[in-house]
Amino acid sequence: MTIAPERSSTREWPIVGEPPYEGSRIPARVPTILDVPEALRETDELFQVNFGPNHPSTHGVLRLIVDLDGEQVVGLSAVIGYLHTGFEKNMEHKTWWKAITYPERIDYVGYQNNELVFVLAIEKLLELEVPEKATWMRMLLCELNRIHSHLVYLGTSALELGAISMFWYCFRERETLLDLFEMVCGARMHTRYFQAGGLAEDIPAGFYPECRKFVEIMPGALDDYLTLLDRNQIWLQRTKGVGLLSADDAIALAQSGPILRASGVDWDLRRDAPYLAYEQVDFRVPVYTGGDVYDRYRVRMDEMAESTKIVRQCLDKLERMEGRPWIADDRKVVLPPREELHTSMESLIHHFKIVTEGYRVPEGEVYVAIESPRGESGCYVVSDGGPKPWRVHFRAPSFVALEATATCTHDAMIADLIAIVGSLDSVMGDTDR
Amino acid sequence: MTKRLRDYGLQSERLLWPTKGPSRFEEEIGAEQLEQALGLTTLEKAVRWSQTKSMWPDTFGLACCAIEMMSIVGARYDLARFGMEAFRSSPRQADLLIVSGRVSHKMAAPLRQIYDQMLEPKWVIAMGACASSGGMFNNYAILQGVDRIVPVDIYVPFCPPRPEALMEGIIRLHEAHLAGVPAAYERKEVAT
Amino acid sequence: MSWEEIPGFVETKEGHGETTVVVEPGKIRDACRYARDELEFNFLADLVATDYLGWEEHAVSGYIGTAAGRDLNRPMTQGLQALPPAKPKRFSLSYHLLALKRGAPRVRLQCWLDDDEPVQSVVSVWPTADWHEREQFDLMGIRFEGHPNLNRILLEDDWDGHPLRKDYPLGGEPVRFSDAE
Repeated sequence: MTIAPERSSTREWPIVGEPPYEGSRIPARVPTILDVPEALRETDELFQVNFGPNHPSTHGVLRLIVDLDGEQVVGLSAVIGYLHTGFEKNMEHKTWWKAITYPERIDYVGYQNNELVFVLAIEKLLELEVPEKATWMRMLLCELNRIHSHLVYLGTSALELGAISMFWYCFRERETLLDLFEMVCGARMHTRYFQAGGLAEDIPAGFYPECRKFVEIMPGALDDYLTLLDRNQIWLQRTKGVGLLSADDAIALAQSGPILRASGVDWDLRRDAPYLAYEQVDFRVPVYTGGDVYDRYRVRMDEMAESTKIVRQCLDKLERMEGRPWIADDRKVVLPPREELHTSMESLIHHFKIVTEGYRVPEGEVYVAIESPRGESGCYVVSDGGPKPWRVHFRAPSFVALEATATCTHDAMIADLIAIVGSLDSVMGDTDR
Repeated sequence: MTKRLRDYGLQSERLLWPTKGPSRFEEEIGAEQLEQALGLTTLEKAVRWSQTKSMWPDTFGLACCAIEMMSIVGARYDLARFGMEAFRSSPRQADLLIVSGRVSHKMAAPLRQIYDQMLEPKWVIAMGACASSGGMFNNYAILQGVDRIVPVDIYVPFCPPRPEALMEGIIRLHEAHLAGVPAAYERKEVAT
Repeated sequence: MSWEEIPGFVETKEGHGETTVVVEPGKIRDACRYARDELEFNFLADLVATDYLGWEEHAVSGYIGTAAGRDLNRPMTQGLQALPPAKPKRFSLSYHLLALKRGAPRVRLQCWLDDDEPVQSVVSVWPTADWHEREQFDLMGIRFEGHPNLNRILLEDDWDGHPLRKDYPLGGEPVRFSDAE
């Protein structure tokens, strides 16, 4: 099958570096199923193992049906859907306000990014101006969430490969991070802090010093992780050269985020299609060309350092914005402040209408994409002009990442399979929606 | 005077309302049988004490609640002080099934299979709103409460429960077991 | 880039800074291959089907909002109820494409389908469409011809019906004191 036109020998941007293998490794019959080679099919050597939905690796309910020839993986097919929740259908029956609670639970590790993409889609349809303070705070929280997601990735994938103590080190930083979320948003996970028009509440006093403390300790923590893993021969041997994915294959399989950047494609939506205020902050996009599990791990480690830089810059900017509005002023969409309800009849009516019937979003369809910790996370919203969404669809980066398992597992042993699935960092809630 | 659960040391209704009437559970067990249900010999007490001190959970993390379940294994909310940090991957070796996350109909069959593979005595904690009742997902895809297929001992509410909330659920399970409350599979059928 | 050259071109629509190019469903694979090869849209971000059953049945009043939202020529924005504009067929199938080059141009290729009308699969153009098409088949019931493995992906294999369609009920259990939602 044709995947993409042949590239000339000079690699042009956004592809950098040399491919780790020639040609394409995408399976020919079905791109997502690794077929057992003809020669082996008739023999008695094959052993089919079911990595059932409940398995020791902490990736949630993914089922892999693996054909093994000894230790070699010769056939692979992934079965998903064990966490299918019907988000999209459920959201069609809730008002726009209530529907914002749902996207967070889709990618439950990078939850604020999902919230952000849905809220950005609503604001695009409404053509609503969001105040600067809200934009910068959203950016800060999304970058903290990126650190959170990568910490969970690092802890769990190291745990699976046997580096069990990494789990505790990563979760130590994670707890500090979750304290920050709890301080601002009121909840550790699934914060529901973004609202159509800005933030639900003002940023509490005392947040900025606490966030600064976190930003100070994070680089030291990253050094700890690198010390534990990066010079560990076992880690290097288990991750280097494993799970190769070339740039052309990655683009054909629509990979995005760390997987794409580890395969030598210099593409980051924060820099190339900026949303929020990303064009005003200074950060580097890490790109590695090896296309293996080790490079994906390095991309995520570097991204954590870059996110810490972005958070520092957001803090600098936000500390000078005390007293500014945190939500848009459009009373048809945004609730009026509570004090006004005692004195103004119009505020009372608006409050009543917004809470009971919900605000109405003009008719139209939009697709908004952001760079979530897993890649391009998109939200396609169709509105009929009413108080409830007509159709909401989430482009889930984990769904697409799992399509690459068959390609990456070319010539892999069963132990490598665990490393590969871990490095694809898919969250099953995001995959199954 | 009929004895109540708190007379056996069970603190299922803490603090708020000391003079409240019998709870649903006490009514179900029955005032007369309470004595028999909770009466324990010294050997049974010792066995129960040791079961409580090392009740190993099964790695049944499904969704968001799984991340909070992982954080109770973390260093801040340390589950190892209860002897439970050894999450067993094989249900044959596990005592406790913490159903953490939403259970879709597709997953319901594997869940029941795993529950059946566990050996008695076994307990089930329905962690979070989705496992307890279907949560915010009242739709075609999600099982409305995991007690429709497995008998549940403790329900931990919230979305997702704070690690402390889950620990309280686990501690209450320990207390209940120490006092002699039978595990759920002995007491009730699954809800229909 | 001129969209009229694309095979099966019907019309283009602009809205909210996005371009939607409507093509005929019979030519969708050629249109996608043209977009990938000639126009360098090598990244298929998303493949979404939308069911418009019941679209024109209830009147909506749109956004009765600030001055930026009000438009005298669109009575819906003035608070008057109006039926939303009619759609050509029941299902729309949108392909969200992205070109990995400076400026990150995006486009939505859209085709309109009736119930039970099959459409060509684009797995040979972008392999990633494999699971996307399976998902839309599973949830919406759109058949993709030429797909190597068109089975249900998110629901069980013996599930009856296609849940995301508008005539499929939400399901779940009735809750006291609350209405349909």
